[in-house]
Amino acid sequence: MARRIIIGDQEVNIPDRLLKLGLVPLIGIGVLLWFLSGIYIVGPDEIGVVQTFGKYTRQAQSGLNYHFPFPIETVQTPKVTEVKRIEIGFRTVGQNQYRTISQESLMLTGDENIVDAEMIVQYKIKDPVAYSFNFVKPELTVREASEASLRTVVGRHNIDEALTSGKFMIQEETKELLQSILDKYDTGIIVVAVQLQDVSPPKEVIAAFKDVASAKEDKNRMVNQAQGYRNDIIPKARGEAQAQLREAEGFKEARISRAQGDVAKFNSMLKEYRKAKAVTKTRLYLETVENVLSKADKIVIPDSEDGNVLNLLNLNPKGGK
Amino acid sequence: MKRIILSLIALGVLFVYTSVFTVDEREQVVVLQLGKPVHTITEPGLNVKLPFPFQELRRFDDRLLEYDSPPEEVLSRDKKSLIIDNFVRWKIIEPLTFLKTVQAIPIALSRLDDIVYSQLRREIGTHDMAEIITENREIILEKVTEESKIATAQYGIEVVDVRIKRVDLPKENEKSIYARMDAERKRQANKFRSEGEEEAQKIRATTDKEKTIILAEAYKVAQATRGEGEAIALEIYAKSFSSDPDFYEFVRTLEAYERIIDDKTTLVLPAKSKLFELLMN
Repeated sequence: MARRIIIGDQEVNIPDRLLKLGLVPLIGIGVLLWFLSGIYIVGPDEIGVVQTFGKYTRQAQSGLNYHFPFPIETVQTPKVTEVKRIEIGFRTVGQNQYRTISQESLMLTGDENIVDAEMIVQYKIKDPVAYSFNFVKPELTVREASEASLRTVVGRHNIDEALTSGKFMIQEETKELLQSILDKYDTGIIVVAVQLQDVSPPKEVIAAFKDVASAKEDKNRMVNQAQGYRNDIIPKARGEAQAQLREAEGFKEARISRAQGDVAKFNSMLKEYRKAKAVTKTRLYLETVENVLSKADKIVIPDSEDGNVLNLLNLNPKGGK
Repeated sequence: MKRIILSLIALGVLFVYTSVFTVDEREQVVVLQLGKPVHTITEPGLNVKLPFPFQELRRFDDRLLEYDSPPEEVLSRDKKSLIIDNFVRWKIIEPLTFLKTVQAIPIALSRLDDIVYSQLRREIGTHDMAEIITENREIILEKVTEESKIATAQYGIEVVDVRIKRVDLPKENEKSIYARMDAERKRQANKFRSEGEEEAQKIRATTDKEKTIILAEAYKVAQATRGEGEAIALEIYAKSFSSDPDFYEFVRTLEAYERIIDDKTTLVLPAKSKLFELLMN
């Protein structure tokens, strides 16, 4: 029959055979096991924080380590390289699946509007000693401080800043404020990153916000259309103006040339005329009369005193030609 | 004999076990002597006391503690109702006082809640809602923290920080904010559209104006050019024709005949005319 005894936090079975050997070797083995219970491993992502009689004494690096067994020394091994993550306003519920928590994500802006903002906070342990001994509920502390910071910072900005240009600024200010709160609590936590995920108008008014965007588009479209009209009309008008000018210039040149031509003709005729005035005049007259009368219908009125044209109207009607 | 030794050892172990104790980094200890607090140990490490039952220990947390109070409805100075969800970070700084006045954490929390809530309500009542939401929030909270610190000192508690986690509005106020936001955005949208129309109209009108000006300018220059042409032509004609006006008149009249009379013209000629003189006689 084996006897079970408890030494420190170790449970040991002692076979009957050993019991017969007496108390001394038993105690020796017990003491040995007790000393061995001080061996511990610090993982590569951890740091060992050792307390001697409850008081912090040293840190242990990754690898195999030893501390005096309980109750003399105890060790904690917080993960110091791990970056922890907190989600504000939403929770990841599966692969690429999120659930929004409007209670957390809806907040008032400085101009008394409401925005829907979601944020991720990443943090890690900077000082394992402070982290281990100074405060309770690390995750809750970071979460509450993050929420308070985000709301405080969003409250400093108006809604248009929060939705557009001020996003980066809000992120940076939140990070700064959050870090200052965590420092004030002496948590030994460093904020690695604060990322504003999505800042949008609440769903109750999102249609109106979208309409503003499309109104902006409408405005641009209207202006562009008018600009298009302008780009069509002005060059055409310039072209038309140029056409008018060219036409006038042509008219001018033509007018001058014709004048010159007419004058040249006249001058040469005048030269001839001056050689033999009477003959030339008669010749020109007859040539013209011949030319003119050969084309037109003619009615010759015989010698009558009155020469009444009406009497002759139906003698040679025009239509009977 | 052996038994006596063994019992002495056992007694010794019990003596050591009840008189030697450790104080952790995370705690502070009050030593009670027959139920009466005698001293406090805040330094972590190994300590001794009189063995049980003469002295015993009360251990208290030495860390920064947390209290998340339930959301409360508070009125601002401008009589707007706000639902404030705040949290408190606090510490037991005088465990002896703490033990005497509130004994344990649950009672401490209810005291803390009373004090912080009343300070918060009073402070918020002196500010307008806009101030609470915006830049003054931190100042208000600092004041609440200070006041609460003073008020809780009697319990051996230090209020380290009071912070508003959330400020929400009651449902009906929220609705009115949404209505306002909606109206504001509609106004903006209308403004953009009207501006678009305005600008487009401006561009079109300017375009039409410029077109009219361009064409009128062109007309002006064109007419001037035409006039120049006419003037030069007239000058040329005048210079030449004035050398013999009679002959010009004669030639030009003949030319006019040729132009006036065509195949549609019916000429009525008296037989007495010079042209037919030979024919008639």
